[in-house]
Amino acid sequence: MKESFFRSMTWLHTWVGLLVCWLLFLIFFAGTISFFKDEITIWAKPETHNVQHQAQRVQSQAEQINYVFAQLQQQAPNSLSWRINLPEPRNPVLSYGFAEPKQPGQRRAPFNYTHLDPNTLEQLPEPRETKGGNFFYRLHFDLHYIDVFTARIIVCLASLFMLVALITGIVIHKRIFKDMFSFRANKGSRSWLDAHNVSSVLALPFHIMITYTGIITLIFMLFPYPAETVYENGLRQMFDEALPINKRAKPSEEQRPMVAIKDVLDQIYTKSPNADISYVFVRNANTASSQIVVYLATGKEVVDNGPRYLFNGVTGELEASSGEDWSASAQFYDSMTALHSGRLAEPLLRWLYFFCGVAGCAMIATGCIMWAKRLRERLKAEQKPSFGLKLVESLNLITLMGLPLATSAFFIANRLLPLELAGRADKEILVFFLTWLAVALSAVSSIEKRHWRYNAWLNAIACFLVPVVNALTTDGNWITYLLTNQWALFGVDSAFICAGVLFLLQSKKIASHKAVINKAKPSKNRVLKEQQG
Amino acid sequence: MHSQSLDAVTTNRPKNTAKKRSVSLSYRVAVFLRFVAAIIGGYAFTSVLISLLAVLLPLNKLDSVLLTTTLSVFFYCCVFIWVFAVKSLKTVWITILLTTGGQLLALSLIKDWL
Amino acid sequence: MMELLQFSLCFLGFNCFALAKFNHFRDVFKKKLTEKQRNSFLASGWISILLSLVLCVLSDAGYGALLFCGYMALSVLMLMILYSFTVSWVKHVSVFTMSILLLSGFSVMIL
Repeated sequence: MKESFFRSMTWLHTWVGLLVCWLLFLIFFAGTISFFKDEITIWAKPETHNVQHQAQRVQSQAEQINYVFAQLQQQAPNSLSWRINLPEPRNPVLSYGFAEPKQPGQRRAPFNYTHLDPNTLEQLPEPRETKGGNFFYRLHFDLHYIDVFTARIIVCLASLFMLVALITGIVIHKRIFKDMFSFRANKGSRSWLDAHNVSSVLALPFHIMITYTGIITLIFMLFPYPAETVYENGLRQMFDEALPINKRAKPSEEQRPMVAIKDVLDQIYTKSPNADISYVFVRNANTASSQIVVYLATGKEVVDNGPRYLFNGVTGELEASSGEDWSASAQFYDSMTALHSGRLAEPLLRWLYFFCGVAGCAMIATGCIMWAKRLRERLKAEQKPSFGLKLVESLNLITLMGLPLATSAFFIANRLLPLELAGRADKEILVFFLTWLAVALSAVSSIEKRHWRYNAWLNAIACFLVPVVNALTTDGNWITYLLTNQWALFGVDSAFICAGVLFLLQSKKIASHKAVINKAKPSKNRVLKEQQG
Repeated sequence: MHSQSLDAVTTNRPKNTAKKRSVSLSYRVAVFLRFVAAIIGGYAFTSVLISLLAVLLPLNKLDSVLLTTTLSVFFYCCVFIWVFAVKSLKTVWITILLTTGGQLLALSLIKDWL
Repeated sequence: MMELLQFSLCFLGFNCFALAKFNHFRDVFKKKLTEKQRNSFLASGWISILLSLVLCVLSDAGYGALLFCGYMALSVLMLMILYSFTVSWVKHVSVFTMSILLLSGFSVMIL
């Protein structure tokens, strides 16, 4: 019985992993990149690059909010919603926006944003239209072209498979700590197995955490039933109870002047004198039902949202607050979302998150390559590879090499597409998918080792092109970023340079193994590079 | 799916029918049914289980909902693995249907749905 | 400095675990590992790792625990590369880590 249990677990691990490994690689790849989504968005908007971080960031917030409120009162006194994003350690720009009236047929009212330099309160040039890091963030659970609901269900199912694969993986890998520090290089599928084990074991807590909490972020879509059973009105009522600050006042037509924002801020500063404010929202400005919501930063607490306060917009009275005294269950739930998004992470932890994400990509990639390789090795001399094996090999190349190439293309497109192009943000995304499609088309027939080598070369070139194109089209470049301490920009460029070097190494490695086996043999570094993209 | 690959794992299949090397149709159907049991059966079982727990737990409404929903993935995952660990497919289906039905009955008695 | 201290403790702990394995010990010291040495390596490994965890949790609670997971992953990767490709460096790296550990430990105590 015991023997057959291990057997069925091995079987399950292989199949559950294989069925979704390419999709999982996409999710992990895009997800890992989105740990730096704010930095990427900054990189993608060169118009804001010259903004300096403020020395007294928190202290000048009250003044900034006052100023922006005066601006909004002039520009859009009757808008349904205002939003102010204050500068934060990761993003020095102060921006505010208001909702324009909704046109028929639009799902959401378009938002009109203005960007300011927080040091001088001068308006910055209108940044180019781009999704930036947000594209990768949405891609990792919305899959872009697919309908949002279907996509999320697919992602949930894939994550569930991943969790099953992780657990069965622990079960079957009995000597989990025995070979932890050993890696046998140049031994065919043996080396891939070692690489698979090392990349899984070294970040195992992270892998389990990120997969589990990933499903938790979408859980109310997957399992709304407890809420539906317990509450009369289902999910909506539950959310209203859980987050009273989201309760919207009924829009009213009656015009009433709003309370001075200073009164609202004073209440916050009396509560917590060093409050670090992240956002301010206003709903139904200048009406009888206006509301002001203030979000504070989380600090180093493992919570997804810091304290939030809802004020009556007319009287300035505090109506509700969240995140202050939560029950254990609510905290448990919220900390799971916080762990997944890692919004709280400061640079050191953020890099560790990124590193663990890379390990996750390596784990998935080595898993699919190992599988194809084993089947190859098992083929007898005269035997033709089956259709299934060929399909797996093609898909491996398309996903593992195509995705990083498409990512580089996306970044290059951000700099090269003309600024006045209509629907520019979507065109950038189109470039991403067209590049990927091109890699896919080149890999339909049969995959040989040279395909891997060409793609490694292409990827290396594309990666080096990104900082070069950036230097040619904007004022700054890799070296000036270093000299002026613009770490976000320096980081993005450096990541591409590192990735380029790794792809070069990979192409060398494939070439040197030419004589050994007649099969694609990418170096294990490949996965690392991909990630950096 | 891929005949080659299926063949390669024939020896690893959960049921001890590895005597013949070829992949029979019945084997494929069995695998498919197991996945159906795991994905859909597991989903139904988990949904009913957590709904029942949310009603029964001696916590306030919000807490019991949040707690059970957060744990749902864990239950789902356990059921998924269990489906593949059990030898007989019949046992799997009967157990899932019976337990889900029983819990559903209990839930509807509590909530007065009947 | 605190982060450096936490990381070097974690790294040293896993290094001890690696040395407590017969094959790795033989590769590094060209000697056979005795049972007594093995036990002392294991013990110091556990002490060092737990100390690192305690320091992480004491300084930053949940956030620290997350950091600790990251430290573990990084240490294991570095050790894996060290033991698989450059075994001859292990002694030097261990001495180096020890000195980093002492330095950061002192500076944490003083500040």
